[in-house]
Amino acid sequence: MVTDKAPSLFNRVARMPPAYIVFLVLVVALWMTRPQLMNPNILGTFIRQVAPLGILVLAQLLVMNARSIDLSVGGVILLVNYMISSGGMDDMSLPMIAACALGVGLAVGLFNGLMVGKRRVSAVVVTLAVSVVLSGIVEYLANGKPPGNVPQTLRDLYEARPFNVPAPIVFWTILSIGVAALLKRLVFGRWISSIGENPVAAHYAGVPVQRTVILAHTIAGLMAAVAGLVQTASIAVGSVRFGPELVMNSIAATILGGVIFGKGSGGVLGPFVGVLCFSLLFVLMTALGVQEHGKLVAQGAIILLAAIVYGVRTSKS
Amino acid sequence: MKKIASTSHLWVLISGRNSRHGLWLLPLLMAVIVAAWMAMRSSTFVGSQNISNLIAQAAPLILASLGQLMVVLIGGLDLSVGAVISLTTSILVIDAPWFVVVPGVFVIAALIGLVNGLVIARLNVHPIIATLSMTSLVQGAALLLRPVAGGTPPALVSEMVNATPFGVSMPFLWVVASVICAWKLVHQSRFGLHLFAVGGGPAVARFHGIAVERVTVSAYVLSSTFAAAAGVFLAGRIASGDPQIGSLFAIESITAVALGGVQLAGGVGSVSSAVTGAVFLALLANGMNLENLSAFIQTVIKGSILLAVVAMQPRKNIGL
Repeated sequence: MVTDKAPSLFNRVARMPPAYIVFLVLVVALWMTRPQLMNPNILGTFIRQVAPLGILVLAQLLVMNARSIDLSVGGVILLVNYMISSGGMDDMSLPMIAACALGVGLAVGLFNGLMVGKRRVSAVVVTLAVSVVLSGIVEYLANGKPPGNVPQTLRDLYEARPFNVPAPIVFWTILSIGVAALLKRLVFGRWISSIGENPVAAHYAGVPVQRTVILAHTIAGLMAAVAGLVQTASIAVGSVRFGPELVMNSIAATILGGVIFGKGSGGVLGPFVGVLCFSLLFVLMTALGVQEHGKLVAQGAIILLAAIVYGVRTSKS
Repeated sequence: MKKIASTSHLWVLISGRNSRHGLWLLPLLMAVIVAAWMAMRSSTFVGSQNISNLIAQAAPLILASLGQLMVVLIGGLDLSVGAVISLTTSILVIDAPWFVVVPGVFVIAALIGLVNGLVIARLNVHPIIATLSMTSLVQGAALLLRPVAGGTPPALVSEMVNATPFGVSMPFLWVVASVICAWKLVHQSRFGLHLFAVGGGPAVARFHGIAVERVTVSAYVLSSTFAAAAGVFLAGRIASGDPQIGSLFAIESITAVALGGVQLAGGVGSVSSAVTGAVFLALLANGMNLENLSAFIQTVIKGSILLAVVAMQPRKNIGL
């Protein structure tokens, strides 16, 4: 492991979020195996697909920085997707649709926040239960058959390419900058990091711990709804099956980015690169012919490894 | 802290506060009410046929909950039990003789638990992260092995679940045996005492000379092993392998232990409370089936119950 006598460069590399190293390795691997894929247009299309995941990661990193977790984001996405694609909102304008979706996210996030912050229930249990309830409701309403199509306006927005960059990527980047500003420039961000460092000390230092946790969860719920909108626009049809792996991947990318339950140092850029890693990983695995189930195994192994590397490192310092 | 509350015996019994076993009156009462309600609605409910059916339905959840109990007692959480159950049924249906696959699944499950425990105890990874990523690893392996439900387990496995030696139904024996095992471990052994000590406070437990790491690893190994037993039981009962059969067991086993009064923060709980919670859930499922409720609505109801129950368990820490 890292000793005092190790060169400072090694120290610095070892303290970086795992995502940066994984990203480099993946780029090299992709370049070696499938050089024809290293083309801005193709990569842009692939990265566009992970924009919902990227927005979800913003939600996850907010709560994980405050020593919480949100497993209900998958349920929120399912519900938003069902609301939009079930046909009930076809004659609504785009802002109305967005407002409804955000309302759902806000409500779920606020509920999570109140349960975690006020009732002090384990965040895992609350958000897992909320997720189960939400997906149960959606599956019951959908009654086994996939819902209908998505309004054309949402599709068009997704397909847009301002300045030749796919719109979802632009949207994702803007939101990331917003969250980074929230964490770095606002007092709220400081509150979140101090809770992450030590909730008890934060409380005695006058940080409104309850309020901050509730707010973090509420924002996370909103972000999940936004991710649901983008995801719905991207797949263009309704579906009752995509929650679980998105939740897993959002946690994985956040950990890869160096944020782990308050002890992290990755900021927003780390998880951002973590999401890009996932995009490259999907491309690489698809190019190498790895099947769906193999991807599941690979993902689990990667999260576990990233967490181990990070766990070991944080315990040494 | 309510002073009056801690002195009244009745209040202790009702709320389960200040007791280490954690069992409180509410789940018992609810179980009795559900049972009474079903006995009134359907005349066949109290018949021996339905009772043995009910035990067979409850057995896998009881097994998984007993495993979950070990981990929850030390303040951990095992989200991988469902995936382990799925993997177990998928392994059992590969064409191999019973003396290979049956010990094989237990060895594999113990290994999974060992990795969980070592990663959590030695490598300092949060239990949720460790078991969640293990879930996707194990679930992926199960799906690779058996993409869709099918196959037949060795005859002995079905025999172990469906036979009736001396007129006693096999599922009943499974439940009794596993409850005795768990009871011996948790309430009659040094290891059990250490579980409570670690759950009460790992640092203090370490100062008292308890090998916290070893206790933690053992708890996760036990949890996976109990899950494997549940998987063997399920494979025998449905007489095939299903890579998705365990998907709800993580949440249901957590619900069961929480419902029975086991504190998810660790240190409070008992075998009787875990079994009570599991039996209540099974009764509820049986009742909802009787009422022809959609499986999805049943999930919603179970999730809501979990939310209501955990909301009644106040903790000190905020967050995870």
